[in-house]
Amino acid sequence: MEYSILLQELKNKFDKSILSIDETADIPTVVISSTSVKEIISFLKEQQNFIFLTDLCGIHYPEQEKELGVIYHLHNLVDNKRLRLKTFVTKANPQIESIVSVFSGANWMERETFDFYGVDFVGHPNLIRILNVEYMDYHPMLKEYPLEDATRTDKDDRFFGR
Amino acid sequence: MSEKDKYTVVEAPEGYSAPGFFATTLDKAVGLARKNSLWPLPFATSCCGIEFMATMGAHYDLGRFGAERLSFSPRQADLLMVMGTIAKKMAPVVQQIYEQMAEPRWVIAVGACASSGGVFDTYSVLQGIDKVVPVDVYVPGCPPRPEQIIDGFLKIQELVGNEPLRRRYSPEYKEMLESYGIKIDK
Amino acid sequence: MKTINSEHHLDLTKEDEKVYSTLNLGPTHPATHGIFQNVLTMNGETIVATEQTIGYIHRAFEKIAERRPYYQITTLTDRLNYCSSPLNNIGWHLAVEKLLGVETNKRVDYMRIIVMELARIADHLVCNSVIGVDSGALTGFVYLFQEREKIYEIYEELCGARLTTNLGCVGGFDRDFSIVAIQKIREVMKGLPKVLHEFENLLMRNRIFMDRTINVGGITADRALNYGFSGPCLRAAGIDYDVRVQEPYSSYNDFDFIVPIGQNGDTYDRFCVRQTEMWESIKLVNNALENLPEGKFNTEVPAFYFPPKEDVYSKMEPLISHFKKVMGEIDIPAKEIYKAVEGANGELGFYVVADGGRTPYRLHFRRPGFIYYQAFPEMIAGQSLSDAILTMSSMNVIAGELDA
Repeated sequence: MEYSILLQELKNKFDKSILSIDETADIPTVVISSTSVKEIISFLKEQQNFIFLTDLCGIHYPEQEKELGVIYHLHNLVDNKRLRLKTFVTKANPQIESIVSVFSGANWMERETFDFYGVDFVGHPNLIRILNVEYMDYHPMLKEYPLEDATRTDKDDRFFGR
Repeated sequence: MSEKDKYTVVEAPEGYSAPGFFATTLDKAVGLARKNSLWPLPFATSCCGIEFMATMGAHYDLGRFGAERLSFSPRQADLLMVMGTIAKKMAPVVQQIYEQMAEPRWVIAVGACASSGGVFDTYSVLQGIDKVVPVDVYVPGCPPRPEQIIDGFLKIQELVGNEPLRRRYSPEYKEMLESYGIKIDK
Repeated sequence: MKTINSEHHLDLTKEDEKVYSTLNLGPTHPATHGIFQNVLTMNGETIVATEQTIGYIHRAFEKIAERRPYYQITTLTDRLNYCSSPLNNIGWHLAVEKLLGVETNKRVDYMRIIVMELARIADHLVCNSVIGVDSGALTGFVYLFQEREKIYEIYEELCGARLTTNLGCVGGFDRDFSIVAIQKIREVMKGLPKVLHEFENLLMRNRIFMDRTINVGGITADRALNYGFSGPCLRAAGIDYDVRVQEPYSSYNDFDFIVPIGQNGDTYDRFCVRQTEMWESIKLVNNALENLPEGKFNTEVPAFYFPPKEDVYSKMEPLISHFKKVMGEIDIPAKEIYKAVEGANGELGFYVVADGGRTPYRLHFRRPGFIYYQAFPEMIAGQSLSDAILTMSSMNVIAGELDA
């Protein structure tokens, strides 16, 4: 299974949802629209042998119009080929369909992405914070929030170069 | 016999001795007994916990100092050894465990993270457990070598051996506990 | 009507509620190696459902990494799976080298293989001895931890630290293996087989141990793949996926080694897979040490190579170049990469998005423990509490890796 054939099939089947393809990156990267994530991933799993979800993470580009991104890494263990899917949503409407029914391993990875970035995965069985405390009211990995805790009293910022 | 020269026994405290009796003050006697039979609670959260496992192993043997019997239940422990990073999510748990321990109790903060937050000056890490419990000895290091952990333990033994008997009932002590928000039950 | 553990949608009737009891396991518990909480719903002695809570040691590694230059992130990777820190360090250096497009020479590759396999042995020593402790066999722990002390001495010789090693640099190592280090590695490799045999005599064909671990905490191969298992847990279920074989890095393809697989995916298979991997690692270290090629101990990576201190203090050019590198005026290409290495627990991946600046724009750690620990409720459903404890310790769940 060659990448060029795979990418051609993807383009033929999901023409409107494929926004861009980058074959020059270390892993072929496809940017897809946020409404057809589950469809495309199910197709890749059932028909193209991408049976392993390696990773699911989020990213934040404040200068773009669609600020929040979710990045999926899939792995075809039969032919040993990897694929990267990216999709972007706005902060105002950060809904993406959850892929927990396709890959059970996506459960906690989607919770982590929600916890850090605020992406809302529609259809997730239990979308609550996983790593941070429950009463936290903001999503810490967004670029506008600082790393340090603003309420700490024992460290003087002048001496820490901040 | 020459066997006796190979090991040392704990020294007796100051006192008057004669054939058949040894007289010393009560707090010295109690301190001697307590310090050589501390029951630690290893509250191991991360990397420092692995160095503690090495300290309990055969090479560095903490059991030589009387701490052979680790207690994982706070009700039966004397010494709370907090080893590793304490996140804000974990802070109420540390305080709850401390409250469940019976007096007299001591706390040793092992590692840079337990002492002051360590490398992790972030929104999610408690910058030192002395924000929630009173600490007696801090052992710096990331992670501290087993020799350093043993050194911290010896300092705790010194504190235990020299503690006055009525310290835990004094108003200053109660005030200090109240400043941490720790409930004192009669 | 109460639903327990909404993810598994167990609907209980009023009658059921009277039968079921709740048991809290954690977050501080002697048998959980690390802090995470499991609230078990039990029907007498049998576990019906589990609710997991993690995050008790969340230290925000990914946010810290956005503020640290590439060579300072090595100290963060130490603390992911802290039982095998050098593996994580070298994995990170390989990721940065992939970003910069640097090829290392053979000597660096073989030295890295030696260090990585030593780290793998150290991690499996902890895991297997702790499986023994959790089933009541404390002797194996004491024997194997002595070997771990010897491996700590090797790390000290190589980099100065015992546990959180911060070993090496982008492009290789800071110094060559000294004669003392090579001697120590040879001694440890000579003494390890005897200790492993002794440990196996104690546990591997022990009737009690086998009764406690066979058919306990099993998972089928396709459920494991669905969850994203990797490493010894996946290989115990029967799938031979090993990143060292699929995408060889650091000259692993020069060596011949077996990838052991199990059949049932239960605790006994995980124990045996780890034991066999230790034997294979010993072979790899011996081979690499015997055939260590000549060459320099690091490849000069212009962006991260600091000139020798005597030159920095006396000549102008090295001083300026040292200053520029520390201040971050270096050429890093603005692209994104994903690099995976075979960690002790599975596929440890680094997803780096670089924007050309001194620090990464985004760094995500693909932590194997975080991903396969999700399957724990499924693995222990219908079994007893003592089985759950053994399953948890055989999965080698390290809290630093869960929460990052």
